[in-house]
Amino acid sequence: MKITRWIILAPIILTLLILAAFSRVDETLIIKTEDEMIETAAPSSHSPFEMSVTNKGKPIDGGVLKVAMVKDEPFQGIFSWELYEDGYDADLMSWASNSLFEVDENFMITNEGIASMYVDQKNNKVTVTIREGVKWSDGKPLKIEDVILPYHIIAHKDYPGVRYNTEFQNIIGVKEYHEGKADTIKGIRKVDDRTIEISFKQLSPSIFYGGDGLWTYAAPSHQIGHIPVEELVQSDAVRKNPVTLGAFKIDKIVPGESVQYVKNEHYWKGEPKLDGVLVKVVPSSSVSVAIGTGDFDIIQHFNATKMPEIENYDNITILGRPELFYSYLGFKVGKYDYTKNTVVTDLEGSKMGDVNLRKAMAYALDIEQVSEVLYNNLRVRANSLIPPVFESFHDDSLKGYVYDPEKAQKLLDKAGYIDVDGDGFRENPKGKKLEIKLASMAGDSTQEEITAYYLQNWKDVGLNVTLTTGRLIEFNSFYDMVKADHPEIDVFMGAWGTGTNPSPAGLYGAADQYNFSRYTSELLETTIQNIDSPQAFDKYYRAKQFKNFQKHIEEVATTVPMQFRYEIYPINKRVKNYSIDLKNPTELHEIELIAKEPFASK
Amino acid sequence: MWKIIVRRFILMIPQLFVLSLLVFFLAKFMPGDPFTGLITPQTDPARLEELSEKAGLNDPWPVQYVRWIGNALQGEFGISYTFKRDVAELIGERALNTFWLSLLSVILLYTIAIPLGILAGRYHNSRLDKTIILYSFITYAIPTFVLSLLFLYLFGYKLEWFPTSGSVDIEYSSGTIQYYWSKLHHILLPTITYAILGTTGIIQFLRSEIIDAKAMDYVRTARSKGIPIKKVYTKHIFRNSLLPIAAFLGFTITGLLGGSIFIETIFGYPGMGQLFISSIASRDYSVITALVMLYGFLTLLGSLLSDIIMSIVDPRIRIE
Repeated sequence: MKITRWIILAPIILTLLILAAFSRVDETLIIKTEDEMIETAAPSSHSPFEMSVTNKGKPIDGGVLKVAMVKDEPFQGIFSWELYEDGYDADLMSWASNSLFEVDENFMITNEGIASMYVDQKNNKVTVTIREGVKWSDGKPLKIEDVILPYHIIAHKDYPGVRYNTEFQNIIGVKEYHEGKADTIKGIRKVDDRTIEISFKQLSPSIFYGGDGLWTYAAPSHQIGHIPVEELVQSDAVRKNPVTLGAFKIDKIVPGESVQYVKNEHYWKGEPKLDGVLVKVVPSSSVSVAIGTGDFDIIQHFNATKMPEIENYDNITILGRPELFYSYLGFKVGKYDYTKNTVVTDLEGSKMGDVNLRKAMAYALDIEQVSEVLYNNLRVRANSLIPPVFESFHDDSLKGYVYDPEKAQKLLDKAGYIDVDGDGFRENPKGKKLEIKLASMAGDSTQEEITAYYLQNWKDVGLNVTLTTGRLIEFNSFYDMVKADHPEIDVFMGAWGTGTNPSPAGLYGAADQYNFSRYTSELLETTIQNIDSPQAFDKYYRAKQFKNFQKHIEEVATTVPMQFRYEIYPINKRVKNYSIDLKNPTELHEIELIAKEPFASK
Repeated sequence: MWKIIVRRFILMIPQLFVLSLLVFFLAKFMPGDPFTGLITPQTDPARLEELSEKAGLNDPWPVQYVRWIGNALQGEFGISYTFKRDVAELIGERALNTFWLSLLSVILLYTIAIPLGILAGRYHNSRLDKTIILYSFITYAIPTFVLSLLFLYLFGYKLEWFPTSGSVDIEYSSGTIQYYWSKLHHILLPTITYAILGTTGIIQFLRSEIIDAKAMDYVRTARSKGIPIKKVYTKHIFRNSLLPIAAFLGFTITGLLGGSIFIETIFGYPGMGQLFISSIASRDYSVITALVMLYGFLTLLGSLLSDIIMSIVDPRIRIE
């Protein structure tokens, strides 16, 4: 009998012990986090993280930099700037980059890179000139044909990617080439062996950010020029041995798992100091341990919610930078007319048509608390729809909707949303029951907590908000429903990555399908058009228009900015110098190491 | 028996046909399409529309179905929308990874489970038996990801006996001895984890069968004939007790390609489980349909194999 009881009890006890051990670790870590966060908490306009690090020590000769890419699935491995779709592939390519241009602290193209650019605003022409003596990783010289080729890949009728878009069609002759009416793109003219001239239909300030249809990468025409576009994506030249221009070149690939780079002796800025780089995909479940044991030098795509797990390691420096990203709360105030391709705003007829109701819902959300507790301050409340990284465009004088439930209540009272029947929820001004439907995207487990918390926030001010479909919605369905203006959606929570050109065109214009809140007004439309008008070549004018845009959206509150986000990069102390500052990033060929192996945490 | 086998194979055709209808239309019923995931502020809705049109996703479903089944019959499963690769080639690559992992796991699993099951049954109610039962309860109760993480932490990171992620070290070129050793080294830890977690069923089946068999008439007869107890166990009881396990063997064999999403994710091992899940999330129709058809075929084949194996192991059973 005794033994039988043991048999039943032992696993339970064992499990309890394991659980206890785990939870104890967690508790201590969390407590420490909060303490440290208070110390490091900085004004919201400044990053609480360092963006660069320099470690003391004598650099060793060469060495291989070990990079972990946190990802729970194999990478796709499309190593072509024209064809890739997944951001992880772009990260893998960046070590070997084919980028032609360099950018300054405002993300504007400079003349320091492989190519330089001259913009002829009057005639809508751009001249691109490549440096002399630049070589591909296989030693072949960079030719002007290598700059012309990508345009002919993207505009080709068999091109399978998304980059053939309206913006790209801004180049004269692209459409004709795509439709097979012309053999080459008329608007791209070879001037001499180092220069091309590109003619555009209409230039805007976006051209300085690599927009308007300008393509900023070269493609090795001697390697892929003869491969039919249709077969390119499956070819070895894209999958196995791409020829590149960057500091390192791809040496070996284990599909989906790891990529080994060796230094590119032909790199135009000089020979890299490292012998090579090794990038490995590491599952998110074990990456924290791998960081502690010193398996890696640089960790990319580290999930911010795991911050407490690595905070006490003494072998790393945690760098962080604001992401080009914002999340938002969108209110449906109209519909998209897919036959006429236009946004039809209907404030009168929409449940969310009252600006006071929208503002009240924004004030009622305790985003500050969510950012602090669930995101360890790696997210902050956003005050506008332009991330602060874009210093000249971001309006930091805007307050945003700082948590203020009383103000929310007052706004609702004023607008006539009052609880008539005494059930705890406010009715609409006509005295009818008001049920607001929120669409929220499914993500990790925190997403569920957050949504529940927001629903509570709204309940606290007397608003009956429930979830569309009754639960969080899977990504694909979410966008299907939001795009189709599903009648069950009144409010939705989404996010955008802005890229380096923060222009609101495409997202808030009157013809934009992605203008999901379906709000447009004359003022908004002209402002957006002004931002990308020829007049906006004047920096100050453009900045002013950007500020007008942010102000207008804040006033109408059809899209409420929720959070800006930081991305963090744990860097092992073996790395001599490293910077993740988008405005002043480390030159890859100058990275050095100060020890044979990465350091382990004590 | 050959007749039966051929007949069963012919029966598979309508079964697979119905499956193909189901999977194709259910896949299409899912909201979104392979291009939904590509939405960024820079993507142009018109371009996405053009791509869907080109991929034939705007045609009526029956038209799409006929086109797909036509190609599939010629062994042409199309191109993965996500990976932009030939589906057969993609699945082949992952299937090979999964196959070796599962094969080694199953071998290890039987090597652990069968002796333990026999010992527990033979020395029923002894301390040994109780220890084995305790072991099998614990392994049954521990969730896959907990044990995987525990092992990974202990043997991978702390003791550094095994590599911690991936299927092979990048520095070795394919074909060399080091390359194959590295591959084996990478699958050992996931294999051990997988095997330990799977033993319970077999141990329990075997144990209870042996305990039952001990009281059977034929055992008593054998013993009274003066056959040594050892021989009774190895010759008489063992063979009979294996029957329930043999019944599943067919599924075990075809299940080698199933893959485990937990093991693959935690050990960063690119296999079939992950491919299946991620293809559903990204609406990679060509991969989803090809995989479901493959699994469907394997299940049918598995049940056939099981029947055949049973008829070999147990002379009382005849498939006619």
